[in-house]
Amino acid sequence: MRVLAIAGNTFRETIRDKILYNLILFALLMILSSFVLGQLTLGYEDKVIVDLGLSSISIFGTLIAIFIGIGLVYKELERRTVYALLAKPVHRWEFILGKYLGLLFTLVVNLVIMAAGLVLTLAYRGDVPLQSCLRLIPAVYLIFLSLALTTAVALLFSAFSTPALSALFTLFLWIIGHFNADLLQFARTTKSAAAEFVSGILYYVLPNISNFNMVDSRNVIQSAAYQEPIHASAVGWATVYAVLYCSILLAITATVFSRRDFK
Amino acid sequence: MSMRPFSRPWHGWLLVAACLAAAWLIRTAQDQIDARQNRSLVDPDVLYFSSPRAVKALALGYDGLIADVYWMRAIQYYGRRDEAARRQVRYKNLPALLDIVTTLDPRMLDVYRAGSIFLAEPEPLGAGEPLEALRLLYKGVSLRPLEWPLRFDQGFVYYLYLKDYRRAGQAWLEASRVEGAPPWMEGLAAHGLSQGGDVETARYLWRRQLEGSARADVRDNARNHLASIQVDEDISTLEFFLDKYAATHGAAPARLEDLVRAGFLDHVPLDPSGVPYQYNSATGAVTLSSASRVRYLEMPDNYRKTIKDNLARTFTAKTSRHQ
Repeated sequence: MRVLAIAGNTFRETIRDKILYNLILFALLMILSSFVLGQLTLGYEDKVIVDLGLSSISIFGTLIAIFIGIGLVYKELERRTVYALLAKPVHRWEFILGKYLGLLFTLVVNLVIMAAGLVLTLAYRGDVPLQSCLRLIPAVYLIFLSLALTTAVALLFSAFSTPALSALFTLFLWIIGHFNADLLQFARTTKSAAAEFVSGILYYVLPNISNFNMVDSRNVIQSAAYQEPIHASAVGWATVYAVLYCSILLAITATVFSRRDFK
Repeated sequence: MSMRPFSRPWHGWLLVAACLAAAWLIRTAQDQIDARQNRSLVDPDVLYFSSPRAVKALALGYDGLIADVYWMRAIQYYGRRDEAARRQVRYKNLPALLDIVTTLDPRMLDVYRAGSIFLAEPEPLGAGEPLEALRLLYKGVSLRPLEWPLRFDQGFVYYLYLKDYRRAGQAWLEASRVEGAPPWMEGLAAHGLSQGGDVETARYLWRRQLEGSARADVRDNARNHLASIQVDEDISTLEFFLDKYAATHGAAPARLEDLVRAGFLDHVPLDPSGVPYQYNSATGAVTLSSASRVRYLEMPDNYRKTIKDNLARTFTAKTSRHQ
């Protein structure tokens, strides 16, 4: 219950940060694209709109996850509002979990509105049946999972570092998360047992963001653009990965935050 | 005490003026620096990332979006004819652009199909690189083996641009074996394998492009080719009968209508845009009128010769029947 109260407050706080302005930008992007693409590309207009829409949802979401995520805890410390909160019978882990869920809820609201905007744009063009719009749902869900993971990473750094450094670390990890497979490839080319061992560990330790971009060796956004089905089992495994990874990150964040000495 | 930025009001204006002067000086300085650079050494036609694998890695999972961007770039790169004419090599980066698009998104069938025509068409219409066109199509066939149109296009490039009729026939034969291929593909394959190089097959192929493509630019190109074949046929026919007229009447006719009056033709043909052909009675040359709206594309030399040979055969057969 207390977690939900903190989550609700975090959501209100992010809304007060005028975070939903990005939706206006997204709407403009969608409207412009539906008019301009006909001039720029020959054929594939619907595919380009889906590509652009889903990629924007993912990029905007990632930016929000990083830049709001890194400030969540830091801001409370800076403004000293955390003292008032922690003086109450609230566990520190509850505080962390509440913050995390609050931002996640903001991201869900964003995602739903943007996805609706994308569907409306497609519907406005009139060539796409509603049935195929449903095919966007798994892709949007996988984007949400990747955002949940990015938020957890940002929150972890936010618990012990400054916002600027946290943003940098999170961004780096996010980029590295797209190249995890290359780590294994690298280890294989070195033919060194030690390098292979270290790479193997790093492969599992580092967040594998590409798990949510590539499913069954197909790009998720492209599958949605070509209206190809995404297997439920693949989505299931991605969910399992995200839940486990985020849980571990949140546990570490809560531990780090619990050990902090507030003066 | 209120904070005032400047102790005197005119100080503010002085600062604005100083900024403007500095901005003007910066411009002058930049122009001076530019004047010392030899811009002609810099190739403006640069593709910063030409490796498809590098672009794919840098796309960070947004492969579809980046593929779309590169496809639009390729279209703009190809479509801006004036700019292309100013480049050192007209379409140097076109193969790389299309390679990047198809690596990022191998499913964009139109990229192989339209791209191969952009590449294979001789300059100035295209890059004049039929081998690059084939490379693109072979890549498409290896990634999308069940798409018969890609194999049909391979045959198209072999037949019309490389004049390799046997390979064209083989490509069409392979296309005919793919599920969903239209029944006419087998006939086309047989034709390509048996003879090749004749005007009727070329006309047939362009008509297939015109009817089969959903793309306006590909259809336009096909329409221009069909019109050009028609022009070649008309001019060859007129020239053939002008020769016959001169042989029987001892002199070239004053006007093309004389051919009708002499019974060689039913009517004087108009060009595909409906404008009469221009005839110079002094030289005997028939050309497209300057008022014509046909975008004439140079056809292979053998076309006119083949048309005239066919006419000669028909004419001899007809006259011998009359006799």
